[in-house]
Amino acid sequence: MRELFHEIGSTLRQNKLRTALTGLAVSWGIFLLITLLGAGNGLMNSFRGNMDQYVSQSISVEGWRTSKPYAGYKENRRIQLDQRDLEYTNGTQWEGTIENVISATASSSVKLTLEGRHADGWMQGQMPRQQEQDKLQMAAGRFLNDQDIREQRKVMVVSMAHANILSPGNPEALIGQWVNAGQIAFRVVGIYHTNEQDFRRSCPIPYSTYKRIYDRSDKVESITFTVDGLNSLEQHEAFENEYVGTLRRMHDVAPDDKRGIWVTNGYTENLQMNKAAGLLNTALWILGMLTLISGIVGVSNIMLITVKERTHEFGIRKAIGAKPGNILSLIITESVVITALFGYLGMLLGMLACQLLDKTVGQRGVNIGFETIHMMVNPSVDVNTALNATLLLIAAGTLAGMVPAWKAARVKPIEALRAE
Amino acid sequence: MALIELKGINKTYNNGQPLHVLKGIDLQIERGEFVSIMGASGSGKSTLLNILGILDNYDSGSYHLDGTLIKDLTEKQAADYRNRMIGFIFQSFNLIGFKTAVENVELPLYYQGVPRKKRHELAMEYLDKMGLSPWAHHFPNEMSGGQKQRVAIARALITQPQIILADEPTGALDSKTSVEVMGLLKQLNKEDGITIIVVTHEGGVANETDKIIHIKDGMIGEIEENTRHDAWGGSIIK
Repeated sequence: MRELFHEIGSTLRQNKLRTALTGLAVSWGIFLLITLLGAGNGLMNSFRGNMDQYVSQSISVEGWRTSKPYAGYKENRRIQLDQRDLEYTNGTQWEGTIENVISATASSSVKLTLEGRHADGWMQGQMPRQQEQDKLQMAAGRFLNDQDIREQRKVMVVSMAHANILSPGNPEALIGQWVNAGQIAFRVVGIYHTNEQDFRRSCPIPYSTYKRIYDRSDKVESITFTVDGLNSLEQHEAFENEYVGTLRRMHDVAPDDKRGIWVTNGYTENLQMNKAAGLLNTALWILGMLTLISGIVGVSNIMLITVKERTHEFGIRKAIGAKPGNILSLIITESVVITALFGYLGMLLGMLACQLLDKTVGQRGVNIGFETIHMMVNPSVDVNTALNATLLLIAAGTLAGMVPAWKAARVKPIEALRAE
Repeated sequence: MALIELKGINKTYNNGQPLHVLKGIDLQIERGEFVSIMGASGSGKSTLLNILGILDNYDSGSYHLDGTLIKDLTEKQAADYRNRMIGFIFQSFNLIGFKTAVENVELPLYYQGVPRKKRHELAMEYLDKMGLSPWAHHFPNEMSGGQKQRVAIARALITQPQIILADEPTGALDSKTSVEVMGLLKQLNKEDGITIIVVTHEGGVANETDKIIHIKDGMIGEIEENTRHDAWGGSIIK
């Protein structure tokens, strides 16, 4: 084996320009593939990251305004969900499908006061699981719990933005303090994270407490739940048609009026996003493969020329005892060495380019008002993919060398010797 | 049995028009002979040499080399026989340009799987025999024609073949160098007892050998015993 590499080493050194050109074709192909995939991953990561803040694995329905007249009602009628809808959702009909049902009350504007300091917010009656739904990260204390609901406690969770105003310098000290919300005092039990651009100013209080103090009606603002056993877009569509269809009937909303009752389906949004991501990924792979193929064709082309150029040399080798297998392995190994060496180089350069993308485009955020979106997040290709692509290229390099090598191995020594 | 035994060798080339090149060649060459095959161009002498060297195959007849029938061999077998039994010397030297003298000489042993170090030692030994040790690490294009041919002879000898086949070995050399190269072959034949077959169209070259086989129109003509080296009036080369 070492001998073979020595042989190849000397021919490669002898033909520096040819080696460099072949290598360039290969390196360029793999470089583009890796860079494309890396940029694609970065784009997808950013897409996912931006979506993750708002999309959760749940379905939520809210009353909205109708967009068309129906059942004797005019359009633009406000639809209000109520206890009946909640009961329907919790009903035995949906047992095994709908789980973890939570509801929230309307939110009302509130002014929080503590020792002469004021902060504005939106008070809303919520259930403990709402924290997960809204993806609230606790900075201090806790979120609402079941006991708060059961005992209709006057407790409240506020944002860090509120805490900074009400307890400047030491926001955590707000935990346990009684804050005036309008006429009624609530004890702060938790503070959730907000950053500077965050627009969230909600002040969750127990659902039961809100109902008892502010709203004794059976109105429900939103119903949120998780579902089990629905795996495809089609299944979700069928479920939405039946579940939301019933709600529409209950509220005299036209069956095809999407605006009357607003559905936010985190599952289908995720499914669609995955589909889009998959498409993007496939497109990038196809593009990358095409560039790879051009690299491989380059190798094959140059190997063909090489074999033609070296026919006389192969004739000499055969005359002094080289078997067809020797010639075959000489050419194929040369092809593999070139593709492996330059493929690896291209892979490294591609990964470097991904790093560069991360340092430039990846760091640049676009401010869209209330938060900053990054064009690319962590644009990179995992080492496995990169290695696989390189291995694929090497395999293709072998294949590319195969045809010319076969030709060279089969030519008769006497004919090869005659070639000049 | 003779080292080389040809019986009724026929060879026809089919390049558009069939060309009957060898028409029933019968020939025996004994071990240790120094023979030349002479003929005009187109007489079939090169074809005969190619068949003897297992570089080409023949259509009918039989060819025994050292008792082995050389017929319908696979490329692999042919390569193996060439490697172990035959040493080639060509008119245009046929050295590999990007290899040094010593690497060229080593190459046949590379195909025998001889380890690198031993190969190198042997190659240096044979180059030394040819008086070329100082040139061992030079490339062919840095050497004179005579030096190149001596490298080629070292390469032909390194596998200790049964026969050396030389195809117009002096064709590309001046007369002084030609005399040297022929002297070298003669010496190899006399001292090491190697069977040598030289193909040539030059009387002077043929005269250096002990037996001259004339070939004409694909058939063996006269076979001259030439131990006194007075054929062609004892003419000197060129």
